[in-house]
Formats: sequence, C-alpha cells, structure tokens
Amino acid sequence: MNHSHNRFGRKLRKFGPLYLMMIPGLIYLAINNYLPMFGLSIAFKDINYRKGIWGSDWIGLKNFEYLFKTSDAYLITRNTILYNVAFIIIGLVVAVGVAILLNEIKNKIASRLYQSLIILPFLISMVLVSYLVYAMLSIDNGFVNKTILPALGLDPISWYNEPKYWPYILVFVNVWKGAGYACIVYLAAIIGIDPEYYEAATLDGASKWQQIRKITIPLISPVIIMLTLLGIGRIFYSDFGLFYQVPMNSGALFDTTNVIDTYVFRGLMQLGDIGMSSAAGFYQSLVGFILVLLSNYIVRKINRENALF
Amino acid sequence: MKKSLMGVSALLISTMLFASACSSGGNDSAGSASNAGASSKPTEKSVELTVAFPIFGAVPKDMQVVQDEINKITQEKINATVKLMPIGFGDWQQQTNLMLTSNEKLDLMAVFGTSYSNMVAKGQLVPLDEQLEENGQGIKSALEPDYLNAAKINGNVYAVPTIRDLAVDYGILMRKDLLDKNNIDAASVKTLDDVERVLKTVKGSDANFTPLIPGAVGMTLREGYVVYDDLGDSIGVLPDFDNGLKVVNLYETQEYADFVKRMHNWYKAGYILKDAATNKTTQFDLIKANKGFAYMSRQKPGFETVESKSNGQPMVAAELLPPVATTSSVTSIMWGVPVNSVNPDKATAFLNLLFSDKDVINLLDWGVEGKDYVKKSDGVIDFPEGVDASNSGYNLNMGWLFGNQFLSYVFNGDDPDLWTKMDEFNKSARKSKALGFIFDVTPVKTEYAAVSNVITQYKLPIEMGSVDPDKILPEFISKLKSAGIDKIIAAKQQQLNEWAKANSVQ
Repeated sequence: MNHSHNRFGRKLRKFGPLYLMMIPGLIYLAINNYLPMFGLSIAFKDINYRKGIWGSDWIGLKNFEYLFKTSDAYLITRNTILYNVAFIIIGLVVAVGVAILLNEIKNKIASRLYQSLIILPFLISMVLVSYLVYAMLSIDNGFVNKTILPALGLDPISWYNEPKYWPYILVFVNVWKGAGYACIVYLAAIIGIDPEYYEAATLDGASKWQQIRKITIPLISPVIIMLTLLGIGRIFYSDFGLFYQVPMNSGALFDTTNVIDTYVFRGLMQLGDIGMSSAAGFYQSLVGFILVLLSNYIVRKINRENALF
Repeated sequence: MKKSLMGVSALLISTMLFASACSSGGNDSAGSASNAGASSKPTEKSVELTVAFPIFGAVPKDMQVVQDEINKITQEKINATVKLMPIGFGDWQQQTNLMLTSNEKLDLMAVFGTSYSNMVAKGQLVPLDEQLEENGQGIKSALEPDYLNAAKINGNVYAVPTIRDLAVDYGILMRKDLLDKNNIDAASVKTLDDVERVLKTVKGSDANFTPLIPGAVGMTLREGYVVYDDLGDSIGVLPDFDNGLKVVNLYETQEYADFVKRMHNWYKAGYILKDAATNKTTQFDLIKANKGFAYMSRQKPGFETVESKSNGQPMVAAELLPPVATTSSVTSIMWGVPVNSVNPDKATAFLNLLFSDKDVINLLDWGVEGKDYVKKSDGVIDFPEGVDASNSGYNLNMGWLFGNQFLSYVFNGDDPDLWTKMDEFNKSARKSKALGFIFDVTPVKTEYAAVSNVITQYKLPIEMGSVDPDKILPEFISKLKSAGIDKIIAAKQQQLNEWAKANSVQ
C-alpha cells in the first residue's frame, strides 16, 4: 500500500506539470464535446418549447423516418459514401505525392513558396470557391465556354444543367482545396525521417523510386493510417459548402450532387424541425463511429502497431 | 511523501481557482446586467420591454436616439420602456430561435408567415385574443377584422399582421427607355400574350439580349405570376382562389403545364436570361448592367417609384393579375408576444402603440424629426439639408414592418396619397376563399421534408423554362408522388374542411 502510494507520488512529481497542462484541455473537451451530448435525446423527441427539452414527448424513431422513406434515400447515401471514398483515396495519393515532391526540392525559398501556394486554397471560403468555379463554368461568360472549348473547336456546355460532369468537378475542387493541408502533415512526417536511412540506401545503390517505396512510405504509414481513419470516421458527413455552394444549388444537378447534408438542409428549410435535423446528425455520427471502430479493428488485425487504439 | 502531497494540493487548488474564476465571472456579468437594467428604470413599476425585429445591413447609428425618444412617449403612455433589438436578416432565424429556446428575455418580436404556424405548434407564442380585448383596442380598430382573423390558428390569434399592402397583385415591371424606343404603351400590356409580344419587340434581332429576368434571386417566373391560393407553401393549392375549397396538386394542373410550356418556348426564343435557373445576381444589378428589360413580380401601389429608385432608372409597371388577399399575403409580416415575455400586458400595450400612435410609428419608420427628416408639406417629409441616404443616421426604410404604415409620413418623391391608395387597394382586393386558413404541417412532417427536396430539385429549371417540360414535368410529378405529396394534400384538405366548418365558410 505504502509502496504503491510512493510510486504514485513519484509519478505525480515527474508528470505533475504535464497533468496540470492537460486540465484546460480536458475542461474544454468536457464542456464542448461531452456536455452537449445530452442534446442527442432531441433526436427522439417531439420538441415543444413550452415543455422544454426534457418535458417534450418521446416519439421513438419517428424523426428518423424521413431519411429512409423517400425515393432519394438510396441516392443520397450512395453519393455521400462514394464521394467520400473518392476524396479519401485521391486526396491521399495526391497529398502524399506532393509531399514527397516538395521534400525533394532543395532550394529553401522555392520550397517555402510552393508550400504556401499549395495551402492557399484551403484557406479560401467555400462561397468564394463557388464563384471561382462559376467564373470557369458560367454558361455565358465562363472561361471554359468562352475560351477553352472554342479553342478546341467544341460546343459550349451548359455546365450547371448537366449532372454527368459533376462527380469529376467536385472531386477536383475538393482535392485542389484540401490536398495542401494534408500535404503539410505528410511533409512534416517525411522531414522527421532520419536521413541516415537514405544515406544507407544511396550507398547500397537504391534508386530514388526505390527509396520512396521502401523507406518514405513505410515510415509515414502511421500518419497515413491515422488520417485515413479520421477520414473514414467522417465518411457519412459531407462538406456542405462543397455540395451546396459549388454547384450553385442547381436543381438539375441533384442526381450527382445531393448528399445527406444538403438533403437534410433542403428538406428542413421550411420545417425548421430540430428533432429531425438532430436525428440526421445522430445517424451520421453513429455510422461514422461504427466505421471507425471497424476499420481500426481491421488495421489492428493486419498490423497491431499501426492501429489508432 | 510530503512533497507529493504538496503537488496534489497544488493541483487541486489550481483546479478550484480555475473553476471558481469561471463561475464568478458568470455571476459578475449577470450582476452588472441587472444593475444596468435597474438604473434605466426611473420609477419602480415601469417595465423594460425587449423588442426584436430584423433589419437589412448595419444597425443605424441613431438607433439609440430613436429608442430614447420612443421611451419618452411610452413611459408616459404605458409606463414602460423599450429596448430595441435589431437583428440582421441573415441571422434572424437562428438568433430568435436561440433566444426562444434558451428562454432569454424577449417581449415582442416580428413574426413571419413562413414560420408562424410552426412557432405556434411549438408553443412559442402567447395567444393574444384576450390581450387585444384589454390592451389592444387600437389594433382592433385599425386592422380590418377579416385581416386580423387571417392570423387565427385553432380559433386564437397568436400574432398581429402589420398594416401595409395586405393583398398582392402580380405584374411586369419594364424599363421606360426601351418602351419608349420601341413605341410600346405599357397600358396595353394586360396578359401573358401581351408580354410575349413586348418581349419579342424589345429583343428585336439582338441574339445576345435576353429581355426577361427573374423577379428576385432564386425566384422563379411562375412565382411572379400566381393564379391560385398557395395555402402557405404551394404544396396543394386552391386554383383561382376558390375551386370550391378543393385542394389540388399544383404541378398536375393544366394551368401549370401550359405556363411552363410557354416559359420553355420563351427560353428557346431567347426571351429569358440564359442562366436564370442558377442566377445569383439581383434584378437591379442585371437591369443596371443592361442585361435585361423587365421582370415579373408581386406589386403594390407605389411600386414603380420604389423600384425605379432601386434600378437607378425610370421603370413602368403593368398589372397582369388583379389584387387578391390570401393568408400568405396577410400573415407574411406580423408581430407576436413570445412565451418568454415577462409582461405580456405591457408588450401588447406597446404593440397597440405601433398601430395607433403616429409619433412612435414615425420614430421607428423615419427617425427623429429635424435630425433624420424634415417636414415638407402635410404628411410629406424629406432629408434635412446636407443629409442623404448615404449619411443619414437612421434610414431603415422599413415602414411595412413597424405596425401601422398608414400612419407614417410619405417620403418626398412618393405619391402623397400613397396610403389612401394602399388602403383602397387592400379594401378592393378580392379575398381568397381560404383567407384565414393556416396549414399545420406536423402530421405529415416526414413527407413534407421529402417533397420539399423534390420541389427544390425541379422548381427552378422547369419554371425558368430552361428544361423541356414534355420530358421533365412527368418525371417531376411522379417523383412528387413517390415522395408522398398526395398524403400532404389529403391532410391539407382535411384541415381545410375542418377550418371551413368551424368558420362556417361555404
């Protein structure tokens, strides 16, 4: 007893300041992330402000019905998941690729410049992005219709009325906007790799390509797995700005641009029912949570070291 | 051992300090807020009423002065003061919702028809019938009973419509320069056929000029030419404002099919803005940039003058559909007392002043006399020397919001008889048979969300004429059916029948 007490004391003395520093973060987490969770009950209630949140009647799963009852249920689920899978895979390949290329640039100033330029789109608001895209694709005045297509001898395309092009446009916009940020994270991981590995590899006559495949990628794989798992956790969420603003909310494009978040937004614009909207949020986080557990389980089966938890 | 204990206590103390700092901070601000409230009350009995309303743009810098002036009047007349709380339109929905949910002090607020029945269903508003009897006689005498009753839900009035243009007529507003150039007499434009003829003439042989533009961002051409009572939302409507009270699916009617067919023909002929379905530029900017000639929208007396100002050039209006009053047109802007109110009696009394006290109304509408406006002749006002719209300290220009607009002054440039004409307009307007019916969407929420989605998908392209209705309309209708529109219409019909029975409407 005394012995363990002593050990606890020693531990505390050693890590005390660290625990102390943890407190604000923990309080923040509790207030911001755990306290509001009681609001999840709203998803199962028929909210009446006069009765209050606790006093409102329980109505079971009725709030969830509208998500599954419509003919669009399949469409929005498919769109949400496929887009996110595409974003995760393509985003990963592009970000890692660019990070490796950036790492190879030996000129300090140029490398800094490229880094800044690449992260710039990440900082632009989606509303502005939507107008940048509009400047490209506008029927009358767009750059593509006015300059590029005529130069190639093609007819102008009515972009905002043709759903078939939008999977490519949206993936492109998302990668253009998001890759820079992920790339910086990977670049940090790459810079952290001990240069001795590369020196040894060069002595053994390994080519650049071999070095990348056998040293860089395996060594940053924990970071890749972590970011991918986090991405999978949000697979049922979609970037509202990207799917609502960028296609200019054009009805003709809904077949390829309608996702869960935009569906919920459009459906509840007039109703303003917080029970139904929290039902949607609850459903999304539940599926995300299960998917994270599942994919983490798979990663742990393959390689215990790389699992998140 | 001792040292480790010290460590633990240090940790504990710091935690407590942090926690207590948080809580004491909270107490402090609450304390000072209540103190400030107390000091602004000269007599003990006087109450302070919080009054929330939406505004466009920034808060006018003279808001405080206006509030002080109003308080001088209210202090004397109803022994209460008001705290004006302007909220930007973009934040309005969210902020008021938050205030209502968190039980923040709020005594009087603007209520919009689109959220009205929902707010009542959620129990956010106080029933006002008895209140109006006791404290609101001014409202009752100013507002025609038919129009006050239009705001009834289950036999109770929960909000009072402001007195402004209570009916709606639809028409087309055209640029005067192009009318003159082509020798067109606006008075001859009375039907869609006439409009088509004018558009053809104005377009001439200019392939790039598309004369007709949307009446507002996101508003379809069909919404600028309404021949039915939308019964709140256009999901299930009453054609010709009567139809023997039989609710029908708008999108299945022959009128709708004909209209969108015509729009598609116009679109193909190049009469309609090419990217009308995704347009995000206001009608004013399009007109100013010479990208259009006319737009169809709802109108009212004095509309020409107002829109000419906004467009920066003379415009001429032609009426296509005579004025009709529907529940939507009457209840679009109202005032209600939220359940959060600490003193509904005083809140109603202040609302009463908004409908009967010329001074209070003009303070809210135009600001302080001599500072923000000067009287020209009887009932007509203008900016004082050296003041204009750009540097005025109070230029909300939202008379339609603050109670009884007919008691406000007319601004220089508008018709001095504007309010007489507007009153005439309201009185002469045809009243929809379903005036006063408000649909409660609660029983069909699930279908409503699904149908709303289908409508947002198809409405803009089909009603702007940019897609071929022969192909798209059947698809649209079948999707509406599978989303459950028939169930909503059935529910609406049932509620309408019950309403008709309760109000003995034949």
